[in-house]
Order: sequence, then structure tokens, then C-alpha cells
Amino acid sequence: MKITSLLIANRGEIAVRINETAKRLKIKTFGIKTSKEPNALYLRLVDDVIDFSDSSEEIPEFLDIERIIEAARINKIDAIHPGYGFLAENPYFARRCKEENIIFIGPSDTAIYKMGNKTIAKQIAMKHKIPLLQGSQGNVKNVREATDIAEKIGYPVILKAAAGGGGRGMRIVEKSSQLEKMFKMATNEALKAFNDSSVFIEKYVRNPRHIEFQILGDQHGHYVHLGERECSIQRKHQKLIEESPSAALDDKLRAEMGEAAVSIARAVDYYSAGTVEFLLDDDKNYFFMEMNTRIQVEHPVTEMVSGVDLIELQIRIAEGKKLPFTQKDIRLSGWAIECRINAEDVQAGFSPNLGIIEKISLPKGKNIRIDSGVTDYSVITPYFDSMIAKLIVHADTREKAIQTVSAALRKCLIKGIKTTIPFCLKVMNNRKFRKADFNTSFIEKELDNLYYQGAEDEMLAAYVATFDFAAQLETDRITFVDFERGKNISPWVLNKWLKSL
Amino acid sequence: MDVKGKSFTRFQERKKEYEVQQGKDAIMKQHSKGKLTARERIELLFDEMTFEEVDAYSVAAPAGGDFGRIVKALGDGVITGYGKISGRLAFAFAQDFTVMGGSLGSVHASKITKIQDMALKMGAPVIGLIDSGGARIQEGVSSLAGYAAIFNRNVKSSGVIPQLSIIMGPAAGGAVYSPSLTDFVFMTNKTSYMFVTGPNVVKEVLNEDVSFDDLGGAMIHMKKSGVAQFVYEDEENTLRGVKKLLSYLPSNNLENPPYLECFDNDTRIDERLRDIVPDDPNKPYDIKDVINLIIDKNSFFEISEYFAQNIVVGFGRLSGKTIGILANQPKVLAGTLDINSSIKGARFIRFCDAFNIPIITLEDVPGFLPGVDQEHNGIIRHGAKLLYAYAEATVPKITVILRKSYGGAYCVMNSKNLGGDFNFAWPTAEIAVMGPEGAVSILYRKELLESNDPAKLKKELATRYRDEIANPYVADEKGYVDGVIDPAETRKKLIAAFDALESKHVAVPSRKHGNIPL
Amino acid sequence: MKIISRKKKTENQYFAVTPHGKKYMIVNPFSEELKINSRKEEIRIFEDDDGFTYLEYKNKKYLAEIIEKYQNKYTVLLNGVSYSFTIETPISYNRRKFLEKHKQVSKSETINAPMPGKIIELLVEENVTVKEGEAILILEAMKMQNEITTHVSGTVKKISVRSGDTVAKDQVMVEIER
Repeated sequence: MKITSLLIANRGEIAVRINETAKRLKIKTFGIKTSKEPNALYLRLVDDVIDFSDSSEEIPEFLDIERIIEAARINKIDAIHPGYGFLAENPYFARRCKEENIIFIGPSDTAIYKMGNKTIAKQIAMKHKIPLLQGSQGNVKNVREATDIAEKIGYPVILKAAAGGGGRGMRIVEKSSQLEKMFKMATNEALKAFNDSSVFIEKYVRNPRHIEFQILGDQHGHYVHLGERECSIQRKHQKLIEESPSAALDDKLRAEMGEAAVSIARAVDYYSAGTVEFLLDDDKNYFFMEMNTRIQVEHPVTEMVSGVDLIELQIRIAEGKKLPFTQKDIRLSGWAIECRINAEDVQAGFSPNLGIIEKISLPKGKNIRIDSGVTDYSVITPYFDSMIAKLIVHADTREKAIQTVSAALRKCLIKGIKTTIPFCLKVMNNRKFRKADFNTSFIEKELDNLYYQGAEDEMLAAYVATFDFAAQLETDRITFVDFERGKNISPWVLNKWLKSL
Repeated sequence: MDVKGKSFTRFQERKKEYEVQQGKDAIMKQHSKGKLTARERIELLFDEMTFEEVDAYSVAAPAGGDFGRIVKALGDGVITGYGKISGRLAFAFAQDFTVMGGSLGSVHASKITKIQDMALKMGAPVIGLIDSGGARIQEGVSSLAGYAAIFNRNVKSSGVIPQLSIIMGPAAGGAVYSPSLTDFVFMTNKTSYMFVTGPNVVKEVLNEDVSFDDLGGAMIHMKKSGVAQFVYEDEENTLRGVKKLLSYLPSNNLENPPYLECFDNDTRIDERLRDIVPDDPNKPYDIKDVINLIIDKNSFFEISEYFAQNIVVGFGRLSGKTIGILANQPKVLAGTLDINSSIKGARFIRFCDAFNIPIITLEDVPGFLPGVDQEHNGIIRHGAKLLYAYAEATVPKITVILRKSYGGAYCVMNSKNLGGDFNFAWPTAEIAVMGPEGAVSILYRKELLESNDPAKLKKELATRYRDEIANPYVADEKGYVDGVIDPAETRKKLIAAFDALESKHVAVPSRKHGNIPL
Repeated sequence: MKIISRKKKTENQYFAVTPHGKKYMIVNPFSEELKINSRKEEIRIFEDDDGFTYLEYKNKKYLAEIIEKYQNKYTVLLNGVSYSFTIETPISYNRRKFLEKHKQVSKSETINAPMPGKIIELLVEENVTVKEGEAILILEAMKMQNEITTHVSGTVKKISVRSGDTVAKDQVMVEIER
């Protein structure tokens, strides 16, 4: 069935991105207006706006399944694209769409469900002999059990609090002699922090790199992968800089991992675009982590090196079309890097920087792509994530790509809010990053501070402030306040005043 | 006159003596406390070389008996005189802490009253630079009489000439009342204090330990007591602030305020104003953004920035002419009126009215702040002050209703029938007796009780109420607002309206004075 | 009576002081004679048609923006990184020095909410000692959990919020006594 109208159930840059492709394909687009962002950029670009401004506070607009479906039904919309986040990986939503005869742009609800459930996903991977991070099946009861498992999977291992997060209740055990002590510490800490002492055990990957594969499948059982993306530059599991390909992979490993990614997709009859995430250790062993059943934020780097439009293919696949190419048709060329520009104050620990973008000017040019969800006077609200734009660069080599990114970052002009640009510049300037020698602990281990600062920058800033202050004094000095004019009061008023005094 | 003759020698000697007295030692003594000398302050305040000192050679009156010692210093611890500030005549006195702690004796006081009298005669602003330990104990009742005489002049001059007090050191006991009788109080952070009874007395009487700063420091008076309207980090910036404030004020009550050539476009349409009020009526925004987009660029000068922040008051310029701005601040306490904000607003309106400064009211007020505390402390009495001040003011008064305008607060905020000259509303305005939720729970109490889903019904009714009642169009049709305007055109509309009001005059019945609910 | 006027030789001298007390002495900010910390410098400030302000220094362009200005306190964004200063004239700079000499260190410091949000978790209790940089609580804003750290070391004197509370910007959350 041909899609002629599309409801974009998302906001920000991804709504803009989806809208762009849909319009090119002559599909009528609908956007959802919220009271939180009534003047957002994507609303100006879509063909028609559905107003959710009066939405209640309990269910956020983009999570309101029934309302979104109802809106699609009333407006006779063929399909819904969920973007990423929100309802993108909600199997119930995908099922409801199906029930209402609305095309959900994404995989089947069963595929979403299977991959969304960590236990099932791991079982599937195991069945297909995909390397996995080994560990305990559930929590470990005592030191003896922990020792047994550790011996089986080999050291180092990591103990993690079952209820945990944030590094507490987490202990890395290098050798068997440490295990007893560490087990006690981890359980004690877990008890204190989460009031639950249970811990589980897992193989510990030292200095892992985050490598993910973009796969595509159609509804007729055809699969391809479009190579990998490396997303190791992350802070607290938030990806900040991504690239494709990864310097850590050679063609052989790429083919092997790509095949692994495709076999997982095939195992759940996956169709649409999806991403299979792996951890890669120092010795180039890879371990399956999870599969993301949606379009990813960092999809543009893949588009840059492969020359395909992933959103277009998602739509075509959803219409039931066959993949227009096979694996051997795929040619990946050059190097692409993406920097996420978030409205965050890097100097204050990446805390969100709310406010109004007074002015924004982002670079244009060959090999530079900007995916942005904002424009002049856009408001950064606390209700949504803080990403405002992505800068993606494509070049022949990694070196040239880094150069182009650095130059382009300096041409990203944003007034009114603070962004992660100084951070991205810092990374681009880092020696180890340039040598592609990094892993997921790069930010904690390699960066002394988190933003780029030239030696003379503080002095120049001091000059700017002083210049303004001195200029203010000078203006005050030469400003001529006209005190005389106030003395000429019209006789109509003055005479009456005087009489009434 | 024979320059080398005897008569001139005496003149030279006196001059020399004065210079010695104000020499290095005295200067160092002040500087080591982070303070400037009285002389330096005067120099910074007045235009270069324009200050003329009066009574430089007065000496202190002798003490009543032989209790304590009196230093016979020239000038008796206060510099008084006149000069030009930004080219305009102004009178000033600056207490000199290096002479007997700037204490106020009878001669010191009479020098000050002389300047006050002159300022009143000439119709020019008077500025007091205060840095004094208080009454001169040695002189006893004479110094108290001196204070009373100063207070008397303060009150006489009130509403006739602008009076400013700049606290640059201690001001304790009776000394605090002269500043609080004047129109505006400036303080310098960390080096100025104001209190009626000092920390020592507090300790003695109540056995409470409190530091100078915590009892009567600049920040306390700026944020908590509201005594000080302006606080700056150092004296130079404080005096700069004084000059800035003066640039908005006329010399006296028979003048219009000064004019500053305006480089901003009078008919500037600012589309940002259309988006500034959030669609969600419960969402806050910063009213200062609105103010800055309407008035001449960079012309807003806020008063009492940190006190009763739920109301914003200050001076600005519209097409070059000074205006007073009074606005509810939705960002703080949702912009409700409480005791402090009512008093802050009322005092500002009365100042504007006294000195012919037109008033703009930007209204977004959900009502008076409810609560036992407010009621018991007399919100009725204090809220009435704001009402009184608005109704009493005869200067041009314009109201723009931005969003909420409910109940009694609607009446208070310069409503049409209270005497607003022009009352405009933005399309986002909600004018009604009370907010939708409150209104429907009264009007549909029974229906709501009987409903299966009261929350849903309430929401529906509230939406209907908003559509049918709480909008600006009902008021517009009945003439309670003069027009619903496009927010982007607010500046243009206000300039035109104030232009029309230039020759406004209202006859008031003659009376000694009204009886404001103090 | 003529004023004993000390001629203002130092009229065009300013000090930009950072919160850490580092100072830049800037002389003649407008003229060719610009000196920063006694060294001659050549800096040009200009604005483009879009309203962006630039600095040009040693053939390099820098994007500059004054993001906060209150009296003589400034925060400047230079290439996206912010710097805070107070700008002092020689007179006020001297005052600063004198006052620092007699500085009373305030005994308690407050941790205020840097942005509006919801308290997710308190990581400290009252009467616990904390070190500078230690996380005090977790504040959720923009769907992100932010660790709020203390800028002073000392003892937690008072916690005025509970987890689950919503806080306004600048609201006092925790008091710490040095």
C-alpha cells in the first residue's frame, strides 16, 4: 500500500528530518503541536498541524497512544513515524497501529517486543551463537556461587547491584583472591544505597568500544547491513560524538560482525531499519549488547558513507516494497563524523541550559550536513531532551573529516544559550582521538577539562567585558540628558496645576 | 583687594588649615576601611570642577558641660554645597567619618538644613551622603534637635524636590529616619549599615547574637526589609547609580521629567511579544522580558529589584520620555499581590504622581495572595494602599492586561473605573471575577458533586468558562478596556496614547491631604 | 572653595578580576595604546550583519557574547565557553583589596538550585561532612538527572528539600557550614 500521508509523532530535529524526506516523496505530513513548544521549527515545516495543546499533564503528548491514533484516524492519515525515543520502541503502540489499519513505520510489534526484552534478546543471540557477555542467570546468592561463575567465565568480572545504577554497588574483580572481599563490599553498598543487597555478576570488558551496526530488512526476508558506527565518545551513557566507519574494525571483522547483526535481525523476522549494538574489547572480541528497533539519532553518519536515505527506505519498507539493493551492492566510502550540539552547559557538568536561542547560524557547505530542530528565537524548554542540532561531516579520510568538523564547529554561531560545541572542539583537538585511540572511558580518562579553551581566551574575554564596561562609562559621560525640555509645560496644564496647588 | 595684604593672609591660612585637615592621614583612615572620603565621594558625584562648598569653615558648637571632648574641626564633619550633576543643579551634603565619626552636632545639623532649605527654594534635587556614627553624645539634646530639624525639612520637601540618601557607612539610631523619609535609599554592600538599635543593644536586651551585616547590612535592607532600593558593590558604582536615577527625574514637582533622545523606533513592531505569554495559563514567564521589548532599548532602571519580587517597578523611557513601570511578575508567587508588593507598588506610584511621571501598568495578576499570615498582618489595609495610590494619581495612567486579571486584583491594578486613562488588553487576557477552576466549582457545585467523573466535567466547564467569560472581548464590548491590541504593536500604541495624554489635567478637590490607609 | 583635585592619570585603567582572584589589568581599552597586563595588544571588536559580535586577535576570529551583566559583574561567552569577571576601576580595585584584607569568611554557604527541576535523590544527610566537589543531591530537569555538587567543604547544616520536591531556580536546597 502506498503511503500518501504521514503523522510524525515526534519533535525537534528528527521531526524536521522525517518531514524533509516525506515531502520529497510527495507525502503529506502532519505534526503534533504541544503547549510546551507551540512555536517549534518542525511545526512551521509540516503540511498540517494537529493541536495537542490542551493535553493533560499526566500523559505527555508524544506518549499518548490513544490520542495519537485517534488523530491519525480522524485525519485519515496512512502512516505514523515515531522517530526515536517516545513511542518508537513501544510494541503496544505498534500493535495498536496495526489494529487501526495505520502503517507503523518500523518493525513488527513482536520484533520490538523480543528485542526490547533483554532476557529474550540474549537468548536469541545465544541460540544463533552470537558472542554475549557471560554472567550469572539472575542474582548470585553467595560468594561460592559467585566464585563458580567467575571461574567459568574468566576474570575480570564485574559485580553489579541488581537495583543499581550510578556506579554504586559496582565492583570490578581482577582475580579470584579479591572476590570474597569485593562481594561483601558490593552487597553492603547495594544494601545501603538501594535497600536491596542482591547483586549479579558479569564478564568485565576492559576499555570497551561501542560499535553498532545499521541493518535494514524488508518484509520479504531480505537483509543488508550498512556498516558500523562507533559511538564510544559518551558521557554517562549519552552519546556525544559518533563516526562511521570505526577505526577499530578491518574488513574481515566488519563482515563478521555485520553478518552477526543481520542474523539477529533475521531471527526475529525484523524489517525496517534497526541497529545492533556490540561492545568491542582490546583484543577485538565483540559481544552483543542489544538491538535498537528504531531509527537512531546518529543515523546520518551511515547515510553519509553509504549514500542512502534511511528514512526513505523505512517508508518504502513499510509500504511493503523490497529492498532496492543486496549486500554486494553496498559501497561504503569515506569517513563521516557527527557531533551532537546540545543546549548544555559543559562547564556546569553538562547541565541543561534553558533559554531562548537569540540567533543561530550553522555552517553550510559541501560535505557538511546539519540536522537542526531550532531556529532564531526557539525556546529550550525543560520538558524535552536538550539536543538542538547535529553537525555531520563527510570526507575522504578520518583525518580530513576531523579537520572539517573543527572548522565547521567554529562556524556554528549560537547566541543566547550555551552548547556542547566547546566540548566537541576539545575532543577534535585531542591527540588520542585523532589517533583513533579511545574507548568508552575516553571522557573520564583522557580529558583534563571538558571544553576547548585557547591559551589567550580568558584574557580576550576579560577584554570584552572591560570594553563593554568602559564603553558604558563613556556613553554615560557623553549622554546628554535634556533637563530643559521638562520645564516647558503647556500652559493648559501648568496654569491648572498652579491653581490647584 | 591687596593679595599680599593682611586680610588675604588670613584667607590663605584658613584654606591651608582645611587642606591639612583633609590630608593624607584622614584619607588613609577611610581607605583602609574600603571607603572613600567625603571629598572623594563629592568629586565622583558632581561634574568635574562644578562643586561649590558652603560653610567650609564652620566649627563645632561647644559641649554643654565638660562631659566628653569635642574636636574643633573645620566644617564640623560634613561637607555641604551645590554643583552640577550631568549638567543640572543639585545640592548635596556628605558626612565625613574622619571628623568625630561623622557624628551629628548642632552645627553639623544646621549646615545640612541650610542646604535642604536652599534645595527647596531653588527646586533642585538634594542628595545626602551618609556616613555617621549618629547623634553627637557630647552635645546632648542639641544634636537631637538637629535631627528633628532635618526630618522637618525632609517632610516639607517630600513630593516637591527629589531627595536621595546614599548610605556609605553606618547610619544608626535616629540617623536612619532621614533616609527613610527621602524618596530613595542607596547602600554600598559590605560597608554600610542601617539599624535603629545596633547589635550591642540587641545582645544586651534580647541576648541575641547578630552581626552588623545580618542585622542591617545592605543586602538585608535590599531583600528583606525593603528599606534600601538600590545596592551596589562599591561606592563608585553606587554614585554612578545615583546619577543614573537622577537622569530620569525632574528637578521639582512643577517640571516634567527630563528627555533623552531616543534612537529606538517609535513604531517598532516586535513579534516576539506575541509569543512571550505562554499558552498555558499556569506557566510563568519573566515580565522583565516584556518590559524590555516595549520600552526604549536598554532604558529600564529597576527599583527594589530584590524586595517583593512579585511586583516589578522601575523607570524607563518611551520615545525618550521618562515613564514609571509597574508590572506583576508571574515568575514570583505567580504574580499575586501580597503585603510587601502592595506597599512597594503604592510608594512607587505616589512618587511618580508627585513628579509628573506617567505610569504604565502591565497586568498579569491571579489575585491577592491567600493565607492566614497575610490576612492577620493586614493585607486588607496594605492592599488598600495600592488601590488608593492608583486612584489618587493624576498623571497619565495606562494599563495593559497581558494575561490574568482576576477579582479584586483586577480593580486594584489601575482598572478603567478606578481611573485608568487607557486600558488595553492582549488577546491572551483573561478578565473575570475569578479563575476558571474556582468559578466553575462554585457555579456548578451540585453538578460536580453528582458527576461520575468530576475532574473531566470540571475541565470541560473551565474550558467553556474561559471561552465565554474569561477573555478580553467581554470587557472590550462593555468598554472596560479601550481596545484589544496586537502584542507586537504595544510600543506603538503606548507612545500614541501617552502623546495624547500629554495635556491631561484632572481637577482634584482642595483638601489638606487625603487619608491614605497607612 | 576649590576641590583638591587629584588629576585622574589612571582614568583609563581597569581591572577585570575572575572569581578566583586572577586579574587582568587593562589600560586604554578603546585606543591603539591598549595594554593588557602591561603588554601591548591589538584586538579588534566588531559586529556582523546578523548581530554576532567577534573579536579579531592575531589573525584569528573569536565569537563573543556578553551573557550576563549586572552592575560591574560580567559573564562573557567566548567561543562558547563562559568567563566571569568583575570590572574594577583603580578606586574600586583598591577597595576590594582593603576589604579582602579584613575579610570575614562567611560561615555557612548555601547550595541553590541551578535550574528548576525535581529532586530525585538526596545523597547526604544533615551533620555529615562533605568535601568540595562532592555530589549532594540529584536534580532532574529536562529529563536528565543532574548531580548537584557542593562548591565548599564543610558540614551539612540543613537540608531544606526532600526527594520528590520541585524546586525553583536559585531556591536554597542545602546549607553547609565551613
